Parts: sequence; C-alpha cells; structure tokens
Amino acid sequence: MEIEIREFTVKRGEFLLRPVSLTVRQGEIFALLGRTGSGKTVLLEAIAGMFPGDEGEILYDGVNVMKIPPRRRKVGIVYQNDGLFPHMKVEENIGYGLKMHGYSKEERERTTERLMELLSISHIRNQYPGTLSGGEKQRTALARALALKPELLLLDEPFSALDPATKQMLYKEIMEIHRSFGCTIIFVTHDFKEAELLSSEVGILLDGELLEVTDGKRLMKEKHCRKIEDFLGDRG
Amino acid sequence: MPEFMRFCERRIFDWIAGIIALAVLLFIGSAVFVIAAGGLPGFWNNLKSEEVRFAFRMSLMTATLSTVIVMILALPTAYALTRTGMPMKGAFSLLIELVLSVPYILLGLSLLVIFSSPMGKQLKEWGFPVVFSPAGIVMAHLLVNLPYAVRLLKTAFEASDRRQEFIAQTLGASPFQCFLTILIPSCRNSLISTFILSWSRGMGEFGATLMLVGVTRMKTETLPGSIYLSISTGNNEAAMSTAMLMLLISGFAMILVRAAEQSGRRRIREVREDRWK
Repeated sequence: MEIEIREFTVKRGEFLLRPVSLTVRQGEIFALLGRTGSGKTVLLEAIAGMFPGDEGEILYDGVNVMKIPPRRRKVGIVYQNDGLFPHMKVEENIGYGLKMHGYSKEERERTTERLMELLSISHIRNQYPGTLSGGEKQRTALARALALKPELLLLDEPFSALDPATKQMLYKEIMEIHRSFGCTIIFVTHDFKEAELLSSEVGILLDGELLEVTDGKRLMKEKHCRKIEDFLGDRG
Repeated sequence: MPEFMRFCERRIFDWIAGIIALAVLLFIGSAVFVIAAGGLPGFWNNLKSEEVRFAFRMSLMTATLSTVIVMILALPTAYALTRTGMPMKGAFSLLIELVLSVPYILLGLSLLVIFSSPMGKQLKEWGFPVVFSPAGIVMAHLLVNLPYAVRLLKTAFEASDRRQEFIAQTLGASPFQCFLTILIPSCRNSLISTFILSWSRGMGEFGATLMLVGVTRMKTETLPGSIYLSISTGNNEAAMSTAMLMLLISGFAMILVRAAEQSGRRRIREVREDRWK
C-alpha cells in the first residue's frame, strides 16, 4: 500500500502539526524520527484514522481515506505500551480481529497458532497481558496487528521500553515480518540509530514540522539543517 | 530549638487531624450504635410482622426493578456523553449535576405534578397508575438514581483507555462491538459498584417516594416508609428494628461493593503470582 499525505495539518489542544506532505512507497519501511512531543504519534494516529485532521488529506493507493473509518482501512497498529486488552488472554487478543471479521473458530485457531509460532509466543497463549514481559507484550501486540494481514503496519515506538537484547531480537523479527507479509511499515522512534538500521527512508519531525525526508542509510552520514543537526547531536 | 519542641512541631498537625478524625468517628459511630442498641432487642419479633415483611418485599422488588432500568438507561447515556459527538454535552452534564443537588422531595413533587396531569390520568386509564401506586415507587427511584448512575459510569468511561477501543476499531470492531467487548469489560468493577450503590440507594429512598406515592400500610409501604409510620404511631421499637434491618442491608451492599473492587485486584495479583511459579 502506498501512503500519500498532502498538506495535512492538525491541532490537538495547544499542539499544532504544521502542513505535512510526504509519500511512503508500497512495501517500504519508513521511520518517523523526532523528539518526544514533536507530533510523530499524532501523525501516525491520523494516518490510522483516529481523528480527521483540520486540513489536507491522506490517501491510500491514491484513494482519499479521510471519510473511511479505521475498521475499513486494512491497517494494523502497535503502541509503545502495547495496548493489549487486559481482560483477554494472549490467544484471545490475537484472535480478536479475526472474530470481529467473522472468521470461523477453526480459521481463527489456525491463524493464531501460526502467528504465535512465528513470534515465539505459543508458550504464553493462556496468560493475561498483566503477567507478560515487555518483549512478550510487544510480540503479542504485533501478532494481533498481523492477524488480518494489514497492508499498512503502524508502530508507535514499539521498542523504546525494551532492553537492548530484546530490542535486537525484535528488530530481526520486524524485518522477517516485513519480508513475509510484504506490508508497508511506518514506525515512530526517537532513536536515530534504530531509524538508520531498520528503515529505507526517514522523515524527521521536530516541533510539529516535517523538516526533511532522507535515505535511512545516509541519515548519519549526510549534513542536515541546523535544527536536525542539534537533534542528531555529536556523531563522532 | 530543643529536640522535643521540634518533635512537637513536626507532629502537631497529625495530632490535630487524629483528634478530629476520632470525633468524627464517634459521631458517625454513635448513630450506628444507637440503631443497633435500639433495634436489636425486638429485631426478630419485628421481622415476623406482616407489615415489615411486606415493606421488605416492596423495597426489594422496587429497588431491584428500578436499578435494572437505571443501568439499561445509564449505560448508553454515559456512552453518548463520553464517546459521541452528541451536541450540548456540557448542558446535559450540567443538568445531571443540577438534579443531583436538588432535594429528593422536590424531585418527588415534580413527578407528582407530571403524573397528576392529564397525561398521568391517561396512563392510569391505560392500566399504568403511578401516583399512590408501587409503579410510582419505581418511578421515584428512577429519577433519584439515574443521574447518580450516569455520573458514576461517565467517570468510569472517561478514565478508561480510549486507545484500546481505537485498536479494536482497527481490528474491525464496530462502535457497538467496541462498547460490548472492550469498554464494558474494562469498566466491569465500576459497573458492578454502580449497580450495587444504586440498588442500595433505592432501598433507602424515601423523600421522592413519600411525595409521589405516600406511605400506605400494606400498599405502598417500603422499609423507610415503615420506619416513618412506626415513628408516627409512637412504635419506636418497631422503627428501630426496621432501621436495624436497613443497616444490615446497607452493610451487606457495602461488602458486595468491596468484594467487587477487590476481586479485580485479586485476579491481577493471582495471575502475577502465577507468573513467578
């Protein structure tokens, strides 16, 4: 799925996201990089359809989705704090979307089983989210988002609360998911090394303004404007 | 400053607060003690009386029925006030707060005026009398408890995590499915507490009921009405025994509310303990 954002702006309380225009190509991994409070999550949620925005438009494969509700957008979303349903076990969380779409019990079990194996969480299928580690929660949230084979996967700082070792494991799993599912991925991060490692393109958002879109692998090698240089800091 | 003086300076507010707390506890406790002391001697005899049994059944039936109706109406109302783009939400919320602060006897008076009107008389002709009838007790409970339940549920819905509902929507859930499968379970303990507290208030409601249906022995007599009639006829022992019964019912309701709150916390603690086995 190709995502095109045209002059999109939104005001949330005192915060203003200034007109954003960018294109994320089909099958790309795109990172939204910026400081905390710069508007990355706001933009991500707007892409998912949480709120309509004040001006501008968002297109999926050339179709304006501003009036299309989230449940018809073929989008999966994973939040930093996982957002798992606390009253449902891991298996039920993963199968939730399939149930809402009317899949039969057998199909739900088959798909859920496959995803739990893919993300190595079969052993926790009967546990509630409150008992899981950070890495297990993120894997469960990923499995839940992938159950409906979304064409667009949105990840809101999915690795920020994890220890370095778990992060490395999840980086590999994200790349594997990208290869297996072929979906477009947009992920939010404030870690520029993470953005450089995982993404093909990086959009740098600071103080509600998209300042630059650049090649992910060249992020740390190229010179940028003063504001971005201050954010990236000393790169040795 | 000597050490002792510094110690006193640090502790003086704690002591003052403690003394006032003790006085408050004695004041509240004395009310409970007086009811227990006055109600216990003739308690079992009073329970056997036909009037008290009738009043108990009437209170139980009307409180339970009105609470079920309250919850059916309050749930979608609280949802509309917190989750939809309904116009004039602020005005509605203000109206609810206003009704909550109005004396219940005035609420009863307003119902009396409404149901004494031609509309009320027509309802009576259609076989649905309200004034001076048990249906009126349910109506009085509704008006007293509905704003209370809406406010409690509104608070619970406002506190719940909206991102979970949004995630449910991205997974294909309609607004009604989000309500049923995400919002209601996440507010389960609040729902149970609201039900029990509304029911308890219904059991104890008197002012609005008195105004709308009066208190007629063996017809519109509820437990609070029974106390009122007993006092009016000088039968203090019966009044205190019935008050003791109401105190036990209220205590039972409080225990249920606590149990509902603690069961949620216990479940989380137990599954966390399971993790470490």
